[in-house]
Amino acid sequence: MHRKLFYFFNFACLALFVAAGIVDNDREWKGYQKEYKRMEIARIEKALSTETDEAKKASLDIALKAARSMPIRLRQAMSKDLIRYDRCTSCHLGIDPAVNALQVNDYTEHPFKASVVPEHMSHPPVKFACTSCHGGQGLATTAEDAHGEIKHWEEPLLAQPYLQGTCVRCHDNFEDLEGAQEAKRGKDLVAKLGCVGCHSFKGKGGEVSVDLGDIADKPVSRIDWSQTTADLDRHQWNVKNWIELHLTRDPMSLVPGDPFGHSCEHLEKCEGVAPSGMPPFFEELSLEEAQAITAYMLGMTDRALPMQYKVPAVKKPVRYADNIEHGKAMYTKFGCAGCHGEGGADGRRNFNALGDGQDKTNLHSIEEMAKGREPTLTKVVGTYSRDELRKKLVDGVSPTSIVKFNPEGPTPPLFMPAWKTKIKGKEMEVLLDYLLSIAEDSGEEW
Amino acid sequence: MPLPELSIEKLEKEVYGSQIWKSMFRNWPWQDSTRHRARHIVDNVWLHLHPAKIQPRALRWTFTWGLGGISFLLFLILTISGVLLMFYYRPTVELAYQDMKDLEFAVSFGIILRNMHRWCAHGMVTIVMLHMIRVFLTGSYKKPREFNWAIGVILLKLTLFLSFTGYLLPWDQLAIWAVTVGTNMAAATPIIGNEGPFASLLGMTISNDVRFVLLGGTTVGANTLLRFYVMHCVAVPLVAAALMIVHFWRIRKDTFSAAPITKDEEKVDVWPNLVVREYIAAAGVTAFVFFVSVYVNAPLEEIANPNVTPNPSKAPWYFVGLQELLVYFDPWIAGVLLPGLIIGGLCAIPYLDTNKKGVGYYSWSERPFANAQFMFGITFWFILILIGNSFRGPNYFWYWPWESWLVHKPVAAPTWSFPLPLGVFSLLAYGGLGMTLPRLITADIAWKKATGAFLGFFALVGLWMHFGGDIAAWRVITVGFLLYLTFLFGFLYPQKYLQDLDMPRYIAVQSLVLMQMGVLVKMGLRLGLDVKYILELPQFNLNI
Repeated sequence: MHRKLFYFFNFACLALFVAAGIVDNDREWKGYQKEYKRMEIARIEKALSTETDEAKKASLDIALKAARSMPIRLRQAMSKDLIRYDRCTSCHLGIDPAVNALQVNDYTEHPFKASVVPEHMSHPPVKFACTSCHGGQGLATTAEDAHGEIKHWEEPLLAQPYLQGTCVRCHDNFEDLEGAQEAKRGKDLVAKLGCVGCHSFKGKGGEVSVDLGDIADKPVSRIDWSQTTADLDRHQWNVKNWIELHLTRDPMSLVPGDPFGHSCEHLEKCEGVAPSGMPPFFEELSLEEAQAITAYMLGMTDRALPMQYKVPAVKKPVRYADNIEHGKAMYTKFGCAGCHGEGGADGRRNFNALGDGQDKTNLHSIEEMAKGREPTLTKVVGTYSRDELRKKLVDGVSPTSIVKFNPEGPTPPLFMPAWKTKIKGKEMEVLLDYLLSIAEDSGEEW
Repeated sequence: MPLPELSIEKLEKEVYGSQIWKSMFRNWPWQDSTRHRARHIVDNVWLHLHPAKIQPRALRWTFTWGLGGISFLLFLILTISGVLLMFYYRPTVELAYQDMKDLEFAVSFGIILRNMHRWCAHGMVTIVMLHMIRVFLTGSYKKPREFNWAIGVILLKLTLFLSFTGYLLPWDQLAIWAVTVGTNMAAATPIIGNEGPFASLLGMTISNDVRFVLLGGTTVGANTLLRFYVMHCVAVPLVAAALMIVHFWRIRKDTFSAAPITKDEEKVDVWPNLVVREYIAAAGVTAFVFFVSVYVNAPLEEIANPNVTPNPSKAPWYFVGLQELLVYFDPWIAGVLLPGLIIGGLCAIPYLDTNKKGVGYYSWSERPFANAQFMFGITFWFILILIGNSFRGPNYFWYWPWESWLVHKPVAAPTWSFPLPLGVFSLLAYGGLGMTLPRLITADIAWKKATGAFLGFFALVGLWMHFGGDIAAWRVITVGFLLYLTFLFGFLYPQKYLQDLDMPRYIAVQSLVLMQMGVLVKMGLRLGLDVKYILELPQFNLNI
């Protein structure tokens, strides 16, 4: 009995040691390298067999020798400045200048494909490595881990158009860049929709919601994913998808809050929490537009960059024809459209505020509460004098003084911030000029 | 030329008989005699800690289960894999996590080494605990082995500390938050921790207390990583190894505990009878460790971020039972007082247990009190670990294992504390009656009747609470069940078995029993009746 056990366990140890060696030796990237080597040798041999010119033959011979002696080994691109060690070229051999100096081959399939784009020339791997633009997990050497859509890795590989977000991180002039058009489109949409009215960007803008200046750095664990199970698997939990869902779904369903205070019902004092106040922009955005905005947002980071990687831009002076046009630009600059709609013509949703057509007998209906609206400026500015309007802009309207639809319901999420430190002097005056000019019924006397 | 004739015998003679071989190994030619078997043991530096002969009873697998030896084997595997890992690991906040990734993706055998180290560490903690249970149940701590038991308890704590210091080194979210939870308890130490009772006596602040010394800062940071690295790789292993030598040497000197030892019992040779069993156990465990390490990867989460606290943050599993106690007690009790009592109580067991029976064999009937109390404590400990590990989700709310953590739970019900006079009265009554009643009542209590009386009485109280006080049935049952356990282990057992114990020992034993059961009572009051504190003295930061 003991003799049998003695032999059994000895052989088990030996076998497992060998198994460990085999498992350790069997790396995914080796297969890709061998396949690339085989394809490269076959390609050159084929070219050699049809080539008649002696000089070209000699150079092909050298190429063949080089291909045959290509070592199978781990390869990496390093950027000391950006602290990146990227082993992407261990599989993506076609893009590695050490393997494929001319950066051309016929292979159409990833990971062998060499797809040289001008951006690679201006962003050499020695300075940028790979993941500083493309995202992903550079230290990893298996496709799944390296492409980074996995648990516990927060920067997945970015496809187009999201990839353009990384241009925004360094290029202050990305609007003029070839290849960053989607990011520009996103920026324009952000301005048009008036995101900045509620979200600051590094302190500039309204204070209704979170600052988006570092949204790309938001940790996955700070996000409540409970309402995304229909859209995302666990491995897709990342900031990119979180931003995009705000633009492709109703944010109210993404962050439903707790309007009836179920989570604190046995506490003495318990006010419900309103759902996300973000308007349902998904109704007016196409998928491409939502992606463009997401791409632009992925450029919003607070991470330190070495000085020499920053590309500053010269600010172009803007001239306005008159005060009204200048005021309209201010209306966009401060994101008034976010709540009041483009041109002040469409007051947006404000949960549990008063709105048109609410059924007063049904105070506990989510649908009725969601009919609450921000003021439609074209209808209301006419009722203010210039000084009253200025005071309203300067002091804002505190969330608690908004009249609720259901008095026991949660405080409406949107409110008018006090703009006193942000809109001043000429900007304030031209904005007032513009606002008073859009009033539908300015002639009415009180 | 004819080939020289190959003779194994001649070759053996030449090799084994050569000066080189003989200078290294003795005892050739090998003869299967008692003398040679004995010399195999005594002439070998690695084996000479064994006796040459041993009683056959000790050879049975089911006596020791090989747990002590397996602990030592795991320590050896950990040392070897640890030293190899040290070649690749740099203990700085910039590089540590990157080195983890390198081990996984670029270093030959890197991930297997790391897996081995990780799984062996968890295994060693488990096996050492099981070893302690085995030694208790076979009474192997009794005279003259009392002191070796105490050394064993200290070795258990060192094993936990080794594992805990190693927990930080991967520098991922799992690491720093587990260590943050663990070291925060140090801040609650009375007098020398800034959050503990009487912290102001020595002027403790966040930047000069015992936690600061442990972390080398006020939060887990670069200094902590270096400190833990040095403790993990050098300081603690040295102390542990030194104590292990003492531990082994005392086993040899005090002789092996397996019983019965009769005068005319024929002992058997350690070589090969014991050695082959040890070898098989070692090879089996090694194979198992290898198997797990090849196919199951050690966890690695996001890189450590002191600004992002995972919800929930949990201590390493062997401390999660103490973390669970934080729900019911202030940190200085859950994190300092109770662990201290556990260590002190364990060390004191051999000196408190006057029962001379039950050495060297498993016996419940000869040691009912000791076994019942000890196994109750052990079960309690593992149930706490199970609750903390598997039943606690976001905000440390109760989530069953089949419930999704994405579902939001309502805020816990508000808690309340006893008014001060009632609190003082309750504690005095519990302590006073608990200490005196088991000795004052000398009559022979029929346990079945006592249990019936308790259940009947509690059923009445419970019905009154349920219908009169509108308290949910599960709460009443929880309180009732825990109170019954307290009644059983805190009164009935001591009443029956501690009548003849001398007074100093009785006081020590019954105090420990009452404190152990007190934890249970407090848990019942909290879970069942939402009681926060029994005694509340905020001016001294002293709440029980």
